[in-house]
Amino acid sequence: MQAIQVSEVHKSYGDVQAVRGVSFEVAQGEVFCLLGPNGAGKTTITEIVEGHRVATSGTVEVLGIDPGSGDRGLRDRIGVVLQSSGIQEELTVGELLEMHGRWYSRCLAPDHLIDLVELDAKRDTRAGELSGGQRRRLDLALGLVGDPDVLFLDEPTTGFDPHARRAAWSTIRSLCQTGKTVFLTTHFMDEAQFLADRVAVMVEGQIVASGPPEALGGRDELPTEIRFVLPDDVVLGELPPLPDSAVSADGGAILVTTSQGVAATNALTGWALQNRIALSRFSVSQPTLEDVYLALTETETASAEEATR
Amino acid sequence: MTAVPTSLSHDLGLTAWQVRYQQRGFWRNRRAAFFSLIFPMMFLVIFGGLQHGNTLDVRGNLSFIDFYTPGIMAYAVLLICFNSSAMVFAALRTNGILKRVRTTPLPWLAYVGGAVGSTLIVLVLSIVLLFAIGVPLFGAHVPGEKMVGLLATLALGAAAFTTLGIAAARLVNKPENGAGLVSVVTLPMVFISNVWYPMDGSPAWIQDVSKALPLRPLADGLQAAFDPRFGGTGILWRDLLPLAAWAVVGCVLMTGYLRSLARRA
Repeated sequence: MQAIQVSEVHKSYGDVQAVRGVSFEVAQGEVFCLLGPNGAGKTTITEIVEGHRVATSGTVEVLGIDPGSGDRGLRDRIGVVLQSSGIQEELTVGELLEMHGRWYSRCLAPDHLIDLVELDAKRDTRAGELSGGQRRRLDLALGLVGDPDVLFLDEPTTGFDPHARRAAWSTIRSLCQTGKTVFLTTHFMDEAQFLADRVAVMVEGQIVASGPPEALGGRDELPTEIRFVLPDDVVLGELPPLPDSAVSADGGAILVTTSQGVAATNALTGWALQNRIALSRFSVSQPTLEDVYLALTETETASAEEATR
Repeated sequence: MTAVPTSLSHDLGLTAWQVRYQQRGFWRNRRAAFFSLIFPMMFLVIFGGLQHGNTLDVRGNLSFIDFYTPGIMAYAVLLICFNSSAMVFAALRTNGILKRVRTTPLPWLAYVGGAVGSTLIVLVLSIVLLFAIGVPLFGAHVPGEKMVGLLATLALGAAAFTTLGIAAARLVNKPENGAGLVSVVTLPMVFISNVWYPMDGSPAWIQDVSKALPLRPLADGLQAAFDPRFGGTGILWRDLLPLAAWAVVGCVLMTGYLRSLARRA
């Protein structure tokens, strides 16, 4: 059985179609990440899967149960970490974890959770007095208190400093290793890259691409990019012939895009060494997840706009 | 896989658990605790002190403290059951606690029950404290057998004002404006309901308006318990029936509101 199964889900508000036929599956133990620009319908589909909203049409199952039914047994087995949700600010971190823990049929000890999210020093601090980042870590701990099978994380590290983000990532990753299914939404490509087994990109209410972060949108087959700066006394025409490559100027540097990354690099560096030409700022790279994401969301948004014109 | 227990006793246990944490939170919010608990006591001390030894001729020389002690009790019911409930339930909706609770296995009614239970504890404490000021300090008369009528009136008053207060949370869109909004609604009613000022001799139309509102029958019913002109158990249907009617209205409005909160769109 899949942990999450979404098929042909539509959701409209009046005339506005927020979600237009979305289908995906998340296997048990998988970390699935939904990406997309604001207004793409990401929040709507996430809230449908979490059970906050019901779909206009289509079916959704989480652990085999329709989340829209509000089934208590299902709620006992999921943990939801929303972007912003309220809390009794007068209660301390320890008290809140204790209070929430009793709501579930099985629960993790407050001390263990506090340790996990590194709030040890804040156990007796009231929630209202926590900093933004500490509050998000408390939210994560509260999402985990029922030892859920499926964990929903809505932009879990927004507002974190780089160190805190790294720490949160390693926490989430260690959770994944315990076999939990994670449904993640984020704006950060490096976060998706680091955490997700599979990524889906949503634009205009539809999923336009999905796959492992390394292969999203054919990323693994996209041309390699070689960048370098030529010395002043060398002109572009002096470059050796490069296999299946396009050469262009990229700011002050030269950009070579090629399907033959290894051969082109070899030809370039061999030529430079032989002629004692210093190629400064030399780099070879694959397009990043962000490049692919931007290309996907830009073309889709543009074509969608054209279609409505 | 452990299944979630769904027996009534388990849910009642959860409600009691919620009462505990609501109470902790309540006492740590100094401002809320001050307004609902200290404020009425302060009024009783001030009014009791100002009118010490004076009597109300129109009520057969009733001692003023026997007017104020029950009058301020009615005011306490209003502050604690109506104002606080409206604020608590508005905050629940606007600050996102509701949204969090909805994805957990805690039954929504257990959360509501926890908040209501906590309110009732504060109310009981407030009434005890008002007795403790009115009786030993200013010589108010302990109701004796009329305690029955007093408790019946208090219970119905608490039911009416709590349910109406929860329903009124619907009108509060921003919690920071809530306190002002709620006061605007309730303050005029306080002035015409035998709480701070005896209504005896006021024009008939004001009397009619005030008797149609829930605070007046609450104050009147409680005052009867302290008034020697009323005997027996102090059960006055004159006041209990309107209060019961308001409690029914409150229940209907509250149920509608709580349902709308629990609905998934």
